[in-house]
Amino acid sequence: MQRLIRIYMKALPTLIASGLLFAISVSIAAQEAVNQDNESDVATEKYEFESNAQRALFLELSQELRCPKCQNQNIADSNAMIAEDMKRKVHQLVQQGSDKNQVINFMKQRYGEFVHYKPPVNQITIWLYLIPAFFILLAAVVIASKKKTTLNKEIDEETLKRAEQALKDNE
Amino acid sequence: MLNNKRLLFILPLTAFLLLSSFLLSGLFSEPRYEVSTTVDKPLPPFALPDVMEPNKIITQNDLLGEPLLLNVWGTWCVTCAIELPYLTSLRVDGIKIVGLYIEQDLDPDFGAKGLTEIQQDIFTTLSRLGNPYSFNIFDQQRDYSLDLGVTGAPETFLVDAQGIVRVHHVGDLNEMVWKNKFEPIYATLN
Repeated sequence: MQRLIRIYMKALPTLIASGLLFAISVSIAAQEAVNQDNESDVATEKYEFESNAQRALFLELSQELRCPKCQNQNIADSNAMIAEDMKRKVHQLVQQGSDKNQVINFMKQRYGEFVHYKPPVNQITIWLYLIPAFFILLAAVVIASKKKTTLNKEIDEETLKRAEQALKDNE
Repeated sequence: MLNNKRLLFILPLTAFLLLSSFLLSGLFSEPRYEVSTTVDKPLPPFALPDVMEPNKIITQNDLLGEPLLLNVWGTWCVTCAIELPYLTSLRVDGIKIVGLYIEQDLDPDFGAKGLTEIQQDIFTTLSRLGNPYSFNIFDQQRDYSLDLGVTGAPETFLVDAQGIVRVHHVGDLNEMVWKNKFEPIYATLN
């Protein structure tokens, strides 16, 4: 237990530094998200909605749908012709009463899985989640087995006795 | 023992180098849309006017009977102007090409052109660069382009006599693209 505390004390500066870094990046990301929302509000000015729920759904979809022509931009952020067309279509579908899944499927039918920023979990993509988990497990096993061997060496009293005996004999 | 040590050194190093080069190449790759959802499926149904004769309505049935190229273009599109002469030479070789015409601005408040102005622009452009088209379908709201999975102009579809899309090409159609991507399939259709 004491040894564990000592290890933690040693790592404390690193822990604090990484904690700070994490906090900073989270706040930057949050700020970014606020900025994005503001931009999207500008985008919704073009469109009229019957209800706030429809407006919210439109905003959500335009954040989640990816512009096929652009480099890593959602359709809310892009002014490309195709992004404008997709926004217009999303607005039209939402006005007609389509729910979120119906709109996403409409776009997937035309532009493939590429168009949605949340990839589905299937036989191929499952490995993206399994492989890192496997590596963590492997690392845990390796670390655990290493600890055991060092401990064994410490406790091996017979070796100690023999070593002491050998030292005495030498004297 | 020595061999083992060397292996312990080399294995992680190779693994690291492989991973690094994989990730490095990812940094420079362009994450662009390349899937085509329309290939091997029939053309989605439509009923759109001929841009030169707006009273004439064209439907998917008017495209049946012989293999053809459906070319998405506009007079405002720079790359389309570059491929027009080559497309015209394909027409001379006896390949049927139908245009799907799209405009850039749809909103009349922001400089959208009137129909006569569009017709005039098309006439001028085709007189200058060559006219590959049997006729031009006018996709006024660009809804049909969306149904086809078009991301911008120019894009070209090879459609067989039964109305099934066989090739979907994003970007300009030049001699190399025709030879590699279109001709092998077009040859099997006749």
